[in-house]
Parts: sequence; structure tokens; C-alpha cells
Amino acid sequence: MTLHSETYDVIVVGGGHAGTEAALAAARTGARTLLLTQSIETLGQMSCNPAIGGIGKSHLVREIDAMGGAMALATDAAGIQFRTLNASKGPAVRATRAQADRTLYRNAIRGMLEAQENLAIFQQSVVDIDIRKGRVEGVLTAMGLAFSAPAVVLTTGTFLGGRIHIGLESHAGGRAGDPASNALAARLRALPFAVDRLKTGTPPRIAGDTVDFARMQPQWGDEPCPTMSFISDGSEHPRQVACHIAATNAKTHRIIRSGLDRSPMYAGEIEGVGPRYCPSIEDKVVRFADRSSHQIFVEPEGLDTHELYPNGISTSLPFEVQFALVRSIEGFGQARITRPGYAIEYDFFDPRGLEPSLETKAVSGLYFAGQINGTTGYEEAAAQGLLAGLNAARKVAGSDPWTPQRHEAYLGVLVDDLVTLGTNEPYRMFSSRAEYRLRLRQDNADLRLTPVVREFGLVDADRWRRFEAKRDAIGRANAALRATPLAPGGELCLRLEARCGEAVAKETNLLDYLKRPAVTAADLVAVHAVDADIPALALEQAEIQAKYDGYIKRQDREIAKVRAQESVVLPAGLDYGCIEGLSNELKEKLSLARPATLARASRIPGITPAALSLLLIHAKRLAGRPDGSAPAGAESEPIGERAARRTA
Amino acid sequence: MPTVDTIAAVATAPGRGGVGIVRVSGPLAREIAQALTGGKLTPRSAVYCDFQDADGEALDRGIAIRFEEPQSLTGEDVLELQGHGGPVVLDMLLERVLSLGARRAEPGEFTQRAFVNGKMDLAQAEAVLDLVNSATRQAARGALRSLSGAFSKRVHGIERELLELRVFCEGAIDFPDEEIDFLSESDVGERLEAVRNHLSALRADARQGALLQDGLNVVIAGAPNVGKSSLLNRLSGEDRAIVTNVPGTTRDTLDADFDLDGMPVRVVDTAGLRETGDAVETEGVNRARRAMAMADVILWVVDDRDTSGDIGEKPRARGMTDATATTIVARNKADLSGRTTGRLSPGVVRISALTGDGIDALAKEIQHAAGYRAGEGMFTARARHLDALASAGEALAAAAERLGANQGELVAEDLREAHEHLGLIVGRVSPDDLLGEIFASFCIGK
Ligand SMILES: Nc1nc2c(ncn2[C@@H]2O[C@H](COP(=O)(O)OP(=O)(O)OP(=O)(O)O)[C@@H](O)[C@H]2O)c(=O)[nH]1
Ligand SMILES: [Mg+2]
Repeated sequence: MTLHSETYDVIVVGGGHAGTEAALAAARTGARTLLLTQSIETLGQMSCNPAIGGIGKSHLVREIDAMGGAMALATDAAGIQFRTLNASKGPAVRATRAQADRTLYRNAIRGMLEAQENLAIFQQSVVDIDIRKGRVEGVLTAMGLAFSAPAVVLTTGTFLGGRIHIGLESHAGGRAGDPASNALAARLRALPFAVDRLKTGTPPRIAGDTVDFARMQPQWGDEPCPTMSFISDGSEHPRQVACHIAATNAKTHRIIRSGLDRSPMYAGEIEGVGPRYCPSIEDKVVRFADRSSHQIFVEPEGLDTHELYPNGISTSLPFEVQFALVRSIEGFGQARITRPGYAIEYDFFDPRGLEPSLETKAVSGLYFAGQINGTTGYEEAAAQGLLAGLNAARKVAGSDPWTPQRHEAYLGVLVDDLVTLGTNEPYRMFSSRAEYRLRLRQDNADLRLTPVVREFGLVDADRWRRFEAKRDAIGRANAALRATPLAPGGELCLRLEARCGEAVAKETNLLDYLKRPAVTAADLVAVHAVDADIPALALEQAEIQAKYDGYIKRQDREIAKVRAQESVVLPAGLDYGCIEGLSNELKEKLSLARPATLARASRIPGITPAALSLLLIHAKRLAGRPDGSAPAGAESEPIGERAARRTA
Repeated sequence: MPTVDTIAAVATAPGRGGVGIVRVSGPLAREIAQALTGGKLTPRSAVYCDFQDADGEALDRGIAIRFEEPQSLTGEDVLELQGHGGPVVLDMLLERVLSLGARRAEPGEFTQRAFVNGKMDLAQAEAVLDLVNSATRQAARGALRSLSGAFSKRVHGIERELLELRVFCEGAIDFPDEEIDFLSESDVGERLEAVRNHLSALRADARQGALLQDGLNVVIAGAPNVGKSSLLNRLSGEDRAIVTNVPGTTRDTLDADFDLDGMPVRVVDTAGLRETGDAVETEGVNRARRAMAMADVILWVVDDRDTSGDIGEKPRARGMTDATATTIVARNKADLSGRTTGRLSPGVVRISALTGDGIDALAKEIQHAAGYRAGEGMFTARARHLDALASAGEALAAAAERLGANQGELVAEDLREAHEHLGLIVGRVSPDDLLGEIFASFCIGK
């Protein structure tokens, strides 16, 4: 039997971070899955800087890990420098960041893909999607092979309509030298999706053997070396190396200013909107003219390559300007550029056209994940991929879609922000986007998610066993602390008071005592207040939970309110234009976002309590229609007009 | 939608004398009844008792009735407190209920809950929408008035300071790797102290009422020469407006404040509505229409002798305005028509602005119109703003307490909460706006 005559449950298009997690997740649930990629060599490729994690991002990686995904494990196998960020702040905002060896990372991902049951990999670029009567039926490849499946996950990243700019020159192309998918882009543009352009950039890469590291400040990873995955212990890590910190100077800035007239951004060649948080070096120099220097993180690309990624000087200036600006930097005096920096513009689809399951509203069975939805970053892509793969498989199996809520996961925040608010710059996760971040910690991602998704088949026996052991140990730790009374004047009490300087006024227990800021689990261990057989990890969890307890209880009320609003479904056919009492601005925003629930509507900027009241009453009124149906014409509603373009 | 919070409001018209009712609806109603009356109330039976404050002292004495869900007005647990005290005592009673965990009701919220809980049939839905619509507009107008001028400026100023403070705190959390000094702890402390001081100064001033003049906005409108200006003078008891027998005398809007039995009222006189070639008068007519759009109550004045068919119809029905305010038709010049003055039907009163006959009936009708709204949360814009300021103040106090303890993420959480409360007054700042503020202030990104 030849491949093209086979039928699959789920087809995943694209082998980047979204695509690989999507394929793995779908296959883990038991769906027969096909991963179609332009190149098997680039599966799991890190096309931007060789680092995984960071604030908000490592939270996503931990969540992927808690759901049985690949990214954390691959990072542990490929990470050559690990650091804990915000170590001096509380556990909720602590994060892990790793530099990764590109080759080791790719190998780890490819190994996991090849080992995965139910998963076939095939190298072919997809040129068309087979859609009949609003349902996806399969895909067509460049060679004319047809693959059919009732669910297709599209994860084509920045390849769609990609255009690369270096100076005033530009050409079609995807990232890192891959060809752009223009046939597919043209096909998708014809479908009823709102398309817009974004841009992002990379710095020139540098040959490490031409760099004088003695003139830069080294930065080593943390000891003991942290891990990304809950089931890693650090023994997976390869040899660890240092990053270096360099800086631009007045001369660098002069060179940049002299080249601005040949910058595609400043010459108006680029229409896409770049991210505010990751400006090009020319943007930084123009917008923060008073700064005489900008920091550069010099990241190694791998253990057996000299190539360096100078993070902080992303640029689309002409090559000769790039060359001069690099050489002006201390330590780079003799540096040789291995690949020029560039800006890339690409298509993305307004994510407000998606259900929270990441299925498109317009085409049943078609899912979008990753940069195609306007996000940036490996972690954001991978998390979406996992979710889309899971939901595609669930749809084929006839199960309900699942998406975590905002108070359950950063993934929930990510998806809700995207489908409710859309984005007009590459969307990146930050901890400040998560209003419930005190409970969305990287240390408890498994407690939050593993039991839930185990029901879906995402978690294997080994991970589950370890999870149960951890959960039980935490339970024992909590019980033991609660069961240990602390009476004023008592012997244990005196020891603790002496150590922590925290007086006990009336009878309490260890757990309540641990809630005080000045008391730590380490203190309890030091004075032998707890059994030695309780694992340190469990004690630490008990401490974190105790410290945040008051805040989390307060948030519970807020969450209950949102839950109640979540239960009010806004019918798809609700005609916002006809709701008397809504401002025109709100009518427009609501018509574009078509929020699925009252809770989603409440997060649209500018919404007022009064407007929510009106929506609630209209929803109830429609729900009470004798036939329970939405008005006719609901199906033919357009997804939304092309989002207004912002000029740069 | 399952109810999670308990709402409360004064359910009778503001003003002196008579019985005042505080209504409570939601899961806390039973607990609040217990705390206030010190006893268990049997559902659906009225009890005459003391309403107690936090120290068990009597605030007022009156009738308490408790209803259990779903056999109640809203379909939830409901408590009704009928007191005898005037507006001040009633306010204290409401504050006491709020301190027990209830929140001030939004406009139209009791009716809305009744509808959502199936206490009204679908046929009534339109009426409910109308009510919520006009109640929210009313509240929005109230909020606008409360937010004008000095008060608004100061709230915005405080919000701005808080935003800047959050930029540092959130920036320090989300961008620890940047070479930016997100303020040393002591600076954050100073800024926090400043915001707290400004906030408490504002609250103190606002409590004295100097900054928040909120009253019933009554607009007199109608055709030229029907006696609008005469009515303004009559109602306010002042010789405020020029009265002549020349149609088109009043060109600009003109207002006067008076006290209607304890209720502050601002009454506005407008130019007679007609098509005219006179530029000044046309502008006057435009102003009249704008005033009508802002009105809580429109007094639509007609000449009682005019017998043309549509004369008694309200201006909205006649296509004169799209204002949705409650309209009272005042049939003026009864002394000339020779008919008896007084209330003819709901919303229609015959008067003589010249002799003053029927003015008492008109005043009652205005009170009635206001009271109809009051039950649905009128006059609460100012109170709601004060609630929000108080909650923001508490959150800032919590932040200050955490500051020393090296718990940046908890300080950030308290500041976020304070900001959410201020957002209820000046509009919410989304996390994305905050990030935008960080990126605009600091060079971030590699
Ligand atoms: N007899 C009698 N005359 C009245 C009464 N009300 C007003 N008038 C007279 O009607 C004329 C117009 O009165 P205004 O109060 O100026 O009327 P207006 O509606 O303000 O008129 P414009 O400002 O021109 O639109 C004056 O001569 C008043 O004295 C009333 O109740 N009885
Ligand atoms: Mg006049």
C-alpha cells in the first residue's frame, strides 16, 4: 500500500515546535497521526536564538512537560547553560532559562518523534488543503500526493508569505534559509480568514574563533544546575559552558545612525508590525537616544560549533553596516560574520477566528497552532501545538474539546488572550499577563495539569508513577505540619522562636506558623520540627502553598465570579449591532471577537459592567427562544474583516 | 448564572420623611439578617426589631422581612429592611449591610437578577431591557457628572502614579535580565507612600461632598412660548429666567438648583424647539436637544389650550428627541384654559406656572420619577466611586505592609488589586497596556 492512499486520524503540517508537539500529543492519545514537514533534517529546529525558557516562558515549558510533551525533556538533553531567574523573588515568579545546543536539541526531538507509536513522518511540502462543505478532508503535497484525515493541524510558522529584508534588498523566504510556503499562503488567503502581516528579526551570527572573549564578561550557569522537566534529575545535561556579555558603544551607535537611510524599517519597506519588547538595534538607538550603550548576550550555538548568537543586535541594516557595527563592539574587533542578520515579514491569521480549542471557526476540523496565530517564541508555539494536537485527536474520537482556563495554566492565558483579544504584534508570554500568576507557578505545573490530561491519554505510566509519589509526599507533609501543635512556651516553640525570631502568642500549628514571611521550611528542618523522612521537595511545596494561601483564597472569589460568567454562553448568532445601549465602539469590538462566553466578553478592553448586563439579558433571551435556536444567518457570518493594519 | 455575590441598595426614593427600604439579595442575605437583627428571621414574616451596628447598638428600628430562594423578588435569598430614619440613617444602614459583605447594586441589577432567575416571563424581557438600558444610561450620566472637574483630575492623577509604580514592580519581575535599575526597594516605598497619601486626601475631600455634586437633572423643554422659563422660575423660587410673550425668548440653556424635599435637583431651562432661520436660535435649539439627552427627567411643557392631536404625546413619540429619560408632560396655563389643575394620569400634570397651581402635584410627579429609578440604583455613582477608592486604599495598605518582607510578587499583586479598583472609576488598564507602558519607558529586549 502506498502512503498517499492511506487515511489518518490527524495530519500535522509543519515540523517546528508547534508541529512536533502537536504530532506527539495526537499520537499519544492513540490517534493515527501523520507529520508532514518540508525537511526531516529541520524537525525541532531552533530558528531564532538558541535558548529555551525565561519568565512566563519556562512556565509554559513546565506545563508542556506536565502534559507529557517533549520540549522540557529535549531542553534537558540539549541545555549547555541553565539559570534560575528571579531567584531572589518568590516562587511564583521564578523561572528557568537554558541555552541549548541546536544539534542536540534537534536530535532529541527527532528521537522522540521516531520513538512515538502511531506517528508517521513524511517529507513533502503541502500546497493545498482539501476543504469540502466547510470541513477539512485532507491535504495535497507538492508532488501531488493526497493524504486524507478528518482533522488537520496547520503549524507553518513564518513560512507563509515570508519575505526577508536585508537593507533595501528583499526576497521571498522562510526562516533560517528555508523556502517560503507561497502556494499554501495564496490558498489560505482565499479562505475566509483575516490575514495580517507581522515582522521579526535576527542578529548577524558570528564565528566564535574570531572573538576575543577575554574582553567580555563571562556568565556561568547556576549551581546546582536546574532542570526543565519534572522527571529529569540533571544527569541528562551535557557539558555546561558560559555565555558572555558584551555591549554596544558610542561608535556602534554612530555607525547605526549613518545607515538608517538604508534600513527597510525606516525607509518604509516593511509593513508588518514588530514586537515592542524585542526591538532591532536600530530601533533601540533611535528610540532611546539617551542610552550610550546596550547590552548584548553572546550565546553559544552549540558545543561543537564556534558559531555565536549575539542576542541584542537584531538588525535588518545592509550587510556592510552590520559588519561595521559588529566590529565596533569590544571583543568583536576582528569578528567574522557567518550569517547576516535580517528582518522577516510573514502572514498570520487573526486568532480571533479560532475557537479556544484552536480549531478554526470557519473550517471544521482545521486547527492552527504557533506563529501562524501571531505568537512568537518556541514555548508559545509548542504549547499551542500540544493543545491543537490533543483537540484534533479528541475531535476525531468524538470527545469534547479541552482548554485550560486562565486560572489553571499559562496556556489558558495564552489561548484566551489570542482568541478573545487578537494581537497586533508578535504575542509573547509575560508573567504580568497572568492575573492569577501566584497559582500558576512552574513548581506546580504538574499538580495543576498532569491529573487532568492523564484522562486524555497524554501521560505515560512512568511519569504518572512519579507524579503520584510527589503528590502523596506533599499530602503527607501538609498533614504532618498541620498535626504538629505549637504551644507558647512549649519546647519546640522555644527552639523555633529562637531560630526565626517569630513569637507564638497563642496555640497554633506548624502549618500556620509556616505562613509567616520570616519562617521557612529550612528552619523547621534545622530545629528538627519535622520528620526526616519527608522529602525536601514536598516540604518546599507545603511552604509555598502556605505562603500564598491568603492571596489564593482571595483570588478564589474572583475566579468563582469568572466561572459563573463562563457558564453564560453568548450565542454565535448574537447580533451586537442591534443591542441598544452598547456604544458603537463596543459593538464593533464584540462583532469582531464574537466571544463565546460572558467571561470572554468581560475581558475585551472598554467593556463596562452595564454592557455585560445587557449581554447577559440578551443571551438569556435568546436561550429562552421556543426553538432554542440562534437567528438565521449565523452560519454565514464573516470571521471578521481584515484587521486594520498598523503602520510602523 | 449562579450568583456568587450579594447586592444591596436603598430601594426607595431619596428624600426626607416616610419609610425607607434597604433591599439585599444574594447568598449572604441570611447571614446579614442574623447580624443586623441578632435573631433568626422566619421567612416571609415581618419582625419589628432594632437594626444593630457592629457594636450591637441600634442604628434604627423598623421592620425586617426575609425571603428564601426561589420564592422572592429576585429568585435569590432576599432581605428587606424598612426603617424610619431619614436619608442619613438609611445610608448608615446600607453601609452596615455593605460592611457585612454585600456590594452596592449596579443599576437595574435587582430586576436583572429577577429576570435571569426566571422570575419574569419572556414577554417581560423587553421591558427589562428597557429598564436596564435607561437605568444604566442614568447611572452613566450620574457617573459623568460625578467624574467632571476636580474629582476626575485627581483620580486620574492617582491612577497615573499607581501605573508608574506598577511599571517598576512588574518590570522588575518580568525583565530581571535587563540592565535596568527598576528602582531600589526604598524608592518604591516612597512612591507607594505618596500614592497612599494622595488617595487618602482625596477620600477625605470626597467624603465632605465638596467634589461630588450629584443631583437629579431635570430639563424643561417644549415649543416656544408655552411657559418653560416661567416654570423654571416657579420651581426654583427665583426670578432666574427672562419671561416675555415673544416666542423664542430663551436662546441659551440656563439652570438653577433647588432642593426638592431633601433631594438635590438641578433644573435646566431650554430654548423652545422649532425650525428657524435665526442662527442664534438654531444653536439654542441644538443646545436644548443636547440638554435633553443628558436629562434624568424631561418636563415636556405644552399649552393646555392647544387642542392639536399629538399635543399630549411625549417628545420621543413625536420624534423630537431620542433622549430616553422619564418624561413628564406639564399642561401649562391652566388659568387661561380654566380647567382644574393636578395630576391627570401617570406622567401628566396640569399646572399654571403663573399662579403656581398644580406645582405641588408636579413636584410629586418628579419625586416619583426619581424614586422609580432610585430602587434601581440611582444616586449611587458617587457612592460606588467612594467604595472603589476605599478598596484601593486597603489594597495599597496591604502592599505597604508586604514591602519590607522581600515579597515583590505579593506587593505586585496588591498593587494590581488597587489598580483594578481605580479602574472601576477611570477605566481598566489591561495587562497589555501595562506592558506597553514598560516598553515605552525602558529599553527592553535582546
Ligand atoms: N396666563 C398664563 N400665562 C403664562 C403661564 N406661563 C407662562 N405664561 C406666559 O406666557 C409667555 C411666555 O412665557 P415664557 O415662560 O417666556 O415661555 P417660554 O416657553 O420660556 O418661551 P420661549 O423661551 O420663547 O420658548 C409669557 O408672557 C408668560 O407670562 C401661565 O401658566 N399662565
Ligand atoms: Mg423661555
